[in-house]
Amino acid sequence: MAKKGLQTTDKDIINLAKIVGEKEILFKKADLLAYDCDGFTIHKHLPKAVVFPNSTKEVAEVVKYCDLNQLPFLARGAGTGLSGGAIPLNGEVIISLVKMKRLLSVDLENRRAVVEPGFVNLKLTNSIADKGYYYAPDPSSQYACTIGGNVAENAGGAHCLKYGVTTNHILGLEVVLPSGEIIDISTNGVLDLPGYDLLGLLTGSEGTLGIVTKITVRILKNPEAKQTVLAYFDKVEDGSQAVSDIISSGIVPAALEMMDKTAIEGVEAAAFPVGHPKDIEALLLIEVDGISVGITEQIKQILEVCKKRNVREVKVAQSEEERGRWWANRKTGFGAMGAISPDYLVQDGVIPRSRLPEVLARINKISEESGLRIANIFHAGDGNLHPLVLFDARKSGEIEKALAAGSECLRVCADVGGTITGEHGVGIEKREEMRFVFTEREIAAQTDIRDVFNPKNLLNAGKLFPSPGRCVEVKKEMKNARETFV
Amino acid sequence: MITSDLLNDLQIIVSDERVVKGQNGDDFLGNSGRIVVKPESEEEITKILQYANAHNRKISIAAGGTKRGFGGITEAEDIELSLENFKGIMEHTVGDMTLTVKSGTPFKELQAYLAQYNQKISLDPFYPERATIGGIIAANDSGPKRLGYGSARDAVIGLRIAYPNGSVIRTGGKVVKNVAGYDMNKLFIGSMGTIGVITEVTLKLRPLPQYESVILLAFPDGHHEWMKSFAVELLDSMMEPVALELLSPTLSENLTGCRYYTVAISFEDVEASVHYQEEFVKKLSSSFANISILEKEKACQFWEHFYNIDHKESEKNETKATLKIAVINLDVIRVIKECEYLSDIHNLKIEGHGGFGHGLCHVHLSGAVEDVKTAITQLRKLATELNGYAVLKYLPLKLRQEINVWGEEPSYFSLLKGIKEKIDPKKILNPGRFVGGI
Repeated sequence: MAKKGLQTTDKDIINLAKIVGEKEILFKKADLLAYDCDGFTIHKHLPKAVVFPNSTKEVAEVVKYCDLNQLPFLARGAGTGLSGGAIPLNGEVIISLVKMKRLLSVDLENRRAVVEPGFVNLKLTNSIADKGYYYAPDPSSQYACTIGGNVAENAGGAHCLKYGVTTNHILGLEVVLPSGEIIDISTNGVLDLPGYDLLGLLTGSEGTLGIVTKITVRILKNPEAKQTVLAYFDKVEDGSQAVSDIISSGIVPAALEMMDKTAIEGVEAAAFPVGHPKDIEALLLIEVDGISVGITEQIKQILEVCKKRNVREVKVAQSEEERGRWWANRKTGFGAMGAISPDYLVQDGVIPRSRLPEVLARINKISEESGLRIANIFHAGDGNLHPLVLFDARKSGEIEKALAAGSECLRVCADVGGTITGEHGVGIEKREEMRFVFTEREIAAQTDIRDVFNPKNLLNAGKLFPSPGRCVEVKKEMKNARETFV
Repeated sequence: MITSDLLNDLQIIVSDERVVKGQNGDDFLGNSGRIVVKPESEEEITKILQYANAHNRKISIAAGGTKRGFGGITEAEDIELSLENFKGIMEHTVGDMTLTVKSGTPFKELQAYLAQYNQKISLDPFYPERATIGGIIAANDSGPKRLGYGSARDAVIGLRIAYPNGSVIRTGGKVVKNVAGYDMNKLFIGSMGTIGVITEVTLKLRPLPQYESVILLAFPDGHHEWMKSFAVELLDSMMEPVALELLSPTLSENLTGCRYYTVAISFEDVEASVHYQEEFVKKLSSSFANISILEKEKACQFWEHFYNIDHKESEKNETKATLKIAVINLDVIRVIKECEYLSDIHNLKIEGHGGFGHGLCHVHLSGAVEDVKTAITQLRKLATELNGYAVLKYLPLKLRQEINVWGEEPSYFSLLKGIKEKIDPKKILNPGRFVGGI
């Protein structure tokens, strides 16, 4: 008897268990605690239940049940999202896709692979590396994050400068709509299907338009050669100018990353130090790839640019091992802040590249005014900043200060013609900041589209868009936030 | 007369000389208007839309006219909103490599302007002299270099859209990476002008390549397995062709003078890299194909010729049609082969090409009307068998009223219809121009 085995009288739990199986559902408070937030830990809320479907059909049945019974629901992958997109604000039924993690097919000749949403990003590259292929989008969490989650957030990564973000690599999707209907949009990978570009719309919709159950991605051949340069600057301005100079010289680097002094202090104190000098103001990590004879010339040009901009020291990685160490140091940069600060808050603004020196100066000023240190570690080549606001949640008022400083940074990005998020998504975190970049009319145009897909708004409600009742909500959330960090 | 009322009303919105009666006899392709109005500002565009929306007037959007034969079953709507006077560069931030332009700007003008700064828009649409950036994006046009550079959805970073009710929204922004809110740019790319008038386009730019060449590999024996294995080997190598396009013998004759199946391979990089890749191709193909290499200007000229194929007006008794056929990458060989077969049995001139790396083919047909219709049916049948589709990018109005330009509706058509109804409830914009009569 389902009822006896499950030890609950909640009819929804019993019915959901009938769909996915009794072992594939969590509903006890102790079990649900792990699902009360994702990588954004300032807001927490318990879900009603977590179900682990094993197939598209099961996802569709769960969704149909929720739709019929007016139960709010949302999809979750590895829970690495940084903006709170998978937090069950409304006590949702969480549809965890981690058990749908198969690599369904690889077609090297036609350069595509089909995966289930719970398949981990890095596993795809690892599965095809021996044939000389890879999957380009490489968010820093790629060892853990799932491709389903990447689609929801339109995830980026360090190498998106040359190769584009997730949306540029999605060829097809199978989607369960909020009604439970299953649709297939070009999962065989045929391009430009007649009709509005639903693939483009769904990618980056932060789980508010549908639940992706199968993903066809483009895979790429490894470049013939790769070279990585590390450059140390005594002045942030020189480093920023070097970024602009490299981009405008006609080189399209595969990656162009920057870290400032505070960030360097953090990464050097953490698990993957590489011996960066402690007294430099900025470093650039630059990678070019492509045909070997071509990149030799590019490296020459990059070194010249750095010298022109008063670089203190510049070096080219001499081995794959050295390159790997530089990248590990960079990719674990966010977590590394834990080594120099009890807590930190990551922001994700984007600016026109040429405004970099000015914006970094303004972020510096925000840091001074708030009394909080802000580390900058970011994708300089595409203007995607990640100010990391360092704070101590145990000190009264610091969470509020950190949140305010983070928001100020986004305000600066918006002011110079940029945007509030380049790859982390809006989620819960940046709902209000949407107003920095969009008018009411423009936000309404987007919710109009949501209403076409998700008319009852049962799927992941309360995300992405600012809500009118914000003032009351802020106080409540702040209270919760304090509890979270204590 | 309704038309004269309309004329008077519109003349209040824009100056008299920019509101004229539509040409009679321009009915061969349709998609025109009883009144043609040529706004010069976004404000004028929104006022025209507001007026049309309030009075239930239907609008057909046009500019360079290169897509007049693409979709739609109406000879003339009430108003032809012509954006040919709405042109110019709004903002070019050289250091950021971004460009914002008015939608009616012809593509070639933009590229010529950007070349002064060693930059370019990484799109290679057809008929670049007449096609405007707005039209290219609304119709999602792309050419062989999509393999290397992607399509409009990869190049557009922001749009301004005038909605049918006259309000204006911005989508995306002016930065190259942006996930704030839904990716609304995508909604309008390829929307065929059915949910809004694109007024401004912001694009990310690329540096102009320092050097380029086109390798033409002609296969005298027409041995398809050789062509295929060549393509597979090249794609599996670490070379970086920006185009890898198979040309049918008829098209090849037109472009190169040689009536053989030909593979056109484009390399764009620093000179040393281009030559290195040429050598690689020579080694890979030497035993079974004739090779010729067009360097620099000659490569440019080749593509210029290519982008302008088959745009002459039809001769009497000759019907022309252009299909866009999408299949899974390497299946382009079967589509192009079928073109040659059909041209033989139906006495048609068929010029076709398709990209091994992206699976998109373009097929130009000309001949007697019945033969053209038969070939369309057969090519569409083949596309379906290959799990792809065929769309008619160009077809005279009369035939569009007979043949479904877009093919069958997708299973999720209700979503497409829902989007249209949400944005354009009165169906005033390009009515019936898109799939399923949207």
